[in-house]
Amino acid sequence: MSRWLERFRPYLMVAPAIIVFVLFFIYPIGYMIYLSFHEWDFISPDKQFVGLDNFAGLSEHPEFLKSLENTFVFTFFSVGITTVLALLLALWINRPTRFYGFVQGAVFSPHIISLVSIAMLWMWLMDPQYGLLNWGLEMFGLPQSEWLASPETALYSIILVAIWKSIGFNTLIIIAGLQSIPPHLYEAAALDQSSRFTSFAKITFPMISPTLFFLIIMNLIGSFQVFETIDIMTQGGPLQSTNTLVYYIYEYGFRFFQLGYASSAGVILLIVLSILTVLYFFLMSRRVHYQ
Amino acid sequence: MKTSRFALKGLNVLGLLIVIAIFATPFVWMAVTSVKSLSETITFPPVWIPETIRFENFALAWDSGPFLRYFVNSLIVTLSILVLQLFTIVPAAYAFARYRFFADRVLFALTMITLMIPTQLIFLPVYLQFSSWGLLDTHLALILPFAANAFAIFMLRQTFKQVPEELLEAARLDQASEWKIMYMVMVPMAKPTIITLLLFSFITHWNDYFWPLVMTTTDASRTLPVGISALTNVEGGVAWHIMMAGNMILVVPILIIFFIAQRHIIRAFVYTGVK
Amino acid sequence: MAEIRFENVKKTYGEDTIIPDMNMTIKDGSFTVIVGPSGCGKSTTLRMIAGLETQTEGNIYIGDRLVNDVSPGKRNVSMVFQNYALYPTMSVKGNIEFGLKNRKVPKAERQKLIEEVAEIVGLTPYLNKKPQKLSGGQRQRVALARAMVKKPDVFILDEPLSNLDAKLRQQMRSELVQLHAKLGTTFVYVTHDQVEAMSMGDEIVLLDQGEIMQMAPPLDLYNYPANRFTAQFIGTPPMNLVSVDQLPSAGFSEKAVEQIGFRPEKAKLRHFPGNDQFSMPCTILNRETLGSEIIYQLDTFAGKLYAKTFNEPVVDDEQLVVSVNNEDIYYFKENGRCIAPYLNRETPIKVRSTV
Repeated sequence: MSRWLERFRPYLMVAPAIIVFVLFFIYPIGYMIYLSFHEWDFISPDKQFVGLDNFAGLSEHPEFLKSLENTFVFTFFSVGITTVLALLLALWINRPTRFYGFVQGAVFSPHIISLVSIAMLWMWLMDPQYGLLNWGLEMFGLPQSEWLASPETALYSIILVAIWKSIGFNTLIIIAGLQSIPPHLYEAAALDQSSRFTSFAKITFPMISPTLFFLIIMNLIGSFQVFETIDIMTQGGPLQSTNTLVYYIYEYGFRFFQLGYASSAGVILLIVLSILTVLYFFLMSRRVHYQ
Repeated sequence: MKTSRFALKGLNVLGLLIVIAIFATPFVWMAVTSVKSLSETITFPPVWIPETIRFENFALAWDSGPFLRYFVNSLIVTLSILVLQLFTIVPAAYAFARYRFFADRVLFALTMITLMIPTQLIFLPVYLQFSSWGLLDTHLALILPFAANAFAIFMLRQTFKQVPEELLEAARLDQASEWKIMYMVMVPMAKPTIITLLLFSFITHWNDYFWPLVMTTTDASRTLPVGISALTNVEGGVAWHIMMAGNMILVVPILIIFFIAQRHIIRAFVYTGVK
Repeated sequence: MAEIRFENVKKTYGEDTIIPDMNMTIKDGSFTVIVGPSGCGKSTTLRMIAGLETQTEGNIYIGDRLVNDVSPGKRNVSMVFQNYALYPTMSVKGNIEFGLKNRKVPKAERQKLIEEVAEIVGLTPYLNKKPQKLSGGQRQRVALARAMVKKPDVFILDEPLSNLDAKLRQQMRSELVQLHAKLGTTFVYVTHDQVEAMSMGDEIVLLDQGEIMQMAPPLDLYNYPANRFTAQFIGTPPMNLVSVDQLPSAGFSEKAVEQIGFRPEKAKLRHFPGNDQFSMPCTILNRETLGSEIIYQLDTFAGKLYAKTFNEPVVDDEQLVVSVNNEDIYYFKENGRCIAPYLNRETPIKVRSTV
């Protein structure tokens, strides 16, 4: 009896978690793939098998293509700019004093605030008529912007908010990476009369590059899922200029009840995320270990 | 020489103050707006100090919807998730860290795959699932999918693995049962990690907007972020002062907690981010 | 109290055989030290006694009880670990009490037992402290107290002193010996340090590659090494060995002698050859003056040798003769077995032919 228990104990211990994962993550993924080959409006009793028709339809659907393009633009700029700025900021504010600690806290603070509040706050800041941002532009003698109200600037406004929200988190991760570099490396470099730039290029950058890689991939995965700011600030508009992949899935699934279409778009998101995940594990397995 | 160094230092401090301003000004502006009158919000250039401080904005925001209900819902959902996670994560992480069993690799791989699946990907099928179970618009729909957390299992497993084998052997010689070893020896040692993970979980689910938006249809189960978002179309027009007052209710407590426990919270996020 | 008996015990990890075939009896109430180079299987042996490892074949008895299938907690064995393995989240008292609680010892009795052992090891003022607040020596005492409080049949210690500094180690050595005398329980002690083994044990088990090279009291091990391995392992510097081929006028009566050996401390440095059977010219390569003793490294035509002198003036001359009394010479056969004809003794211990 006790031997029997001994053998099954590990299974009993992992069972609750595994049940949750299978029920709410693994099975739904399978169901989504299944739906992507069918046409269904959620109300009619039977689902009609349509093969790859949904995917073919998506490839000709301008709204979907626009959302895909927007997602890539959003990802490219938000991840690129966030990473570069965070690296510079991290090198700058990585000091142990109280004042620098306060700066770090301030930079990080948007990360713990709900995106709902951040989105609403920035809507107000970006108000074309009475917003603080236009007031600031005017003070410096710059032309005002339409921000979210114009199809030309709306997506970039959302990118700005994304950068503002995530830069602090990125900065602190890089700071943690910087602090894990053993100080004796710098001492040795100082004895070798290495310049500050050489120290950065030969010690700092190689030592934190694994951290940067992971940060970039995590940011990529995160930015492909952008939804909250879009839903609250623009709802995909104006003129589809801020429609993204997840928002497209949400609209087609929940507003227009075209579950086949929505699921197919979901499968495409799944493919993109899988590629990034494989890349992530590939880098993890090849992660450079120093010393 | 000396003066230029002095100037550089001054420039550095100025730069830092600008950085602080970039992140603090929006919150300050939120606070200022939340006590303005409607007419003061629609002037250009903007007014920085309102004529009278109108605290009644908060009451107006609070009364514009069943905010007490939202608050209670948020509390029920978040706390239930934390408690359930505690009961699923600890044994699973322990088993993955300490036992070799027939399917351990397969099950662990499954956990890692889950780690990579965002809710934005699975909401449609899960929605259909909950609708067939009649669970839509209930607390359970907001709680159950998050009753376990792959990421937390992964982190806690790492922590458990770092506990020296000798300690377990000592406990075995002390005639402790496997169950007792887990909760008397291992869990107390992993307490900092567990607290960090719970803090992380709390902030994530307290702030979550997407999942409750998708899974709820009535105020009976809506949470605070969803409720607050409804302020965008209060009274038909834009009432920035009421919107900001409502968000102040959501933001200020979190900011206060943040600046009190800043070090711990930052560590929780950085720690869970670095891996 | 109990003796421990190994009967044809074999231990393998996959392809690797750690212990091929072990037979031994550790005497009841003895202080037995298992010593050997790293990887010789001494820790595995110890862990099999504790039940933390299970032997692949064979039987282990503690007292009269066959313990093959008895779990570690039920063997009535206490163990002191190298890194102490104190529960960091429990106080000193909690650490000592944990095992008693698991055995469902009533509270009043627990209290009494804890006070008792705390008194013996001098921990009474620290009972409510956490282990991290204690010094290395105090942690060691907590580990001892935790082991003692269970009143075990066998006390197992796995290199318990290796984390202490030299001075404290010396002190703990004698404390452990006194503790053993007081408790009278069987102690099994593992170390890689021959000095520790010689100074503490009343019985030493010398292991190499999972085989018992010799099991004997310390002085027997020193005086009557059974084989080349024992002879070289015990004593610093190790015993000098000279191949017979390199001695032109050997003339040994004993057949199949491959090497002769002598301890550095038995070598004499002279200016002229004496009447000893063994003497050869040498030059001094190096001197280590350690105070009361001096260690010389010598170069001879038969290779490098060591000599050790006590309370004698430093020899300055470069050209000398090293000689050894006949009765201080050991002879080693091809199979590594040692013969000491003048001691009239050949220890009947199994010798591995590959040595």
